[in-house]
Amino acid sequence: MTISHHPADAMLLAYAGGTLDAGAHVALATHMASCRQCRDFAARLEFVGGDLLDAAPAAAMDAGAFGKVSALLDEPEPARPASPQPTGALADVPGLPPYVRRLEAGKWRWIAPGLHLQPLTPPAASTARVFLLRARAGMRLVPHGHSGLELTCVLKGSFSHDGARFAAGDFDCGDGEGDHAIAIGDESECLCLVALTGELQLRGLAGRLVQPFIAI
Amino acid sequence: MPERKSTLRDASDWTAQIVAIASNRDKVAFARLFDHFAPRVKGYMRRSGMDDAQAEELAQEALLRVWRKAESFDPHSGGASAWIFTIARNLRIDALRRARNAATEGASDIDDEYLLDDAPLPDAAVAQSQTGERVRRALASLPKEQQRVIELSYYHEEAHGRIAELLGIPLGTVKSRLRLAAARLRQLLEELQ
Repeated sequence: MTISHHPADAMLLAYAGGTLDAGAHVALATHMASCRQCRDFAARLEFVGGDLLDAAPAAAMDAGAFGKVSALLDEPEPARPASPQPTGALADVPGLPPYVRRLEAGKWRWIAPGLHLQPLTPPAASTARVFLLRARAGMRLVPHGHSGLELTCVLKGSFSHDGARFAAGDFDCGDGEGDHAIAIGDESECLCLVALTGELQLRGLAGRLVQPFIAI
Repeated sequence: MPERKSTLRDASDWTAQIVAIASNRDKVAFARLFDHFAPRVKGYMRRSGMDDAQAEELAQEALLRVWRKAESFDPHSGGASAWIFTIARNLRIDALRRARNAATEGASDIDDEYLLDDAPLPDAAVAQSQTGERVRRALASLPKEQQRVIELSYYHEEAHGRIAELLGIPLGTVKSRLRLAAARLRQLLEELQ
């Protein structure tokens, strides 16, 4: 798979640092499941985390801390339930990493002719709305300005805007700039995972279409 | 005791301690790791805004996980600190989620959220014993203000707004500085190959 569009470096930094919103994390992880390059970069950023940890000012531990932990070393580890095999609505969606496949998903909803949405529940409280968006092959979407931040990862098919084509694995970050006329590729329907973060006034591709259908 | 600290200074030493736990359940090795890393993990938690009691608890839990998960550590990664960082990071995320929403009992395991496929990570290019040292040098070569924004994005959610507040600079400046810093860091890290 050739992936040409990646998340911004600063976003990968927050991903590796563990400070990314849980909903945005879903979109990034979905891209990274297909993108070796971003996984490698994130692995390097974990070394940066290690370096920061080494340099973190040492905070004195409680006097009994070592004894307390030592006493647990020979205890059997409390059994943690194995992560369940995904069996829900998302089990067979292409391109999703395992933990995303296990998320709860709502029913597909009709948005407009040729356009459907399925809401997902992020694994933790999130300021983002996360959903799958399915658009018919060859659709043209009316241009309008963005307002929030839209993180989109293509799972199947393609779309194009502003001269750039986004296909499976590609990551698009709509940042509120410009008017994007969006064309869905003719080869097949297009399936995307979208996380809308930040502002509540949503006027982007997905946001404007979707706003009336999701609880805000 | 003092001489053991002076003899354990670099990444390969820490790697050897984790390997000793994995292969022999070596408690002396664990004590060394605990001495060095527990106060640093606690410092990391404190810097992320946790109070002393919670930082203490998470630091203890992190080191317990080092003991229990030692077998899953890849000694060829050369990244003992990086590995312990990921354990601490995931505990921190989990604690913040629990604090925000008491009802996350049985919610997904954070470790899973960083487990993207079956391919071993990091790749061969990253897995060199000197990577840690080279990353350190790369980071140190950045201008101080860039180091600062990078560091803060490891400590605070919604980094932009929070960083602006902490550094007392406009949001736009934070965004452009972070963008510059991250791009520079990428350039330096890609030179590691």
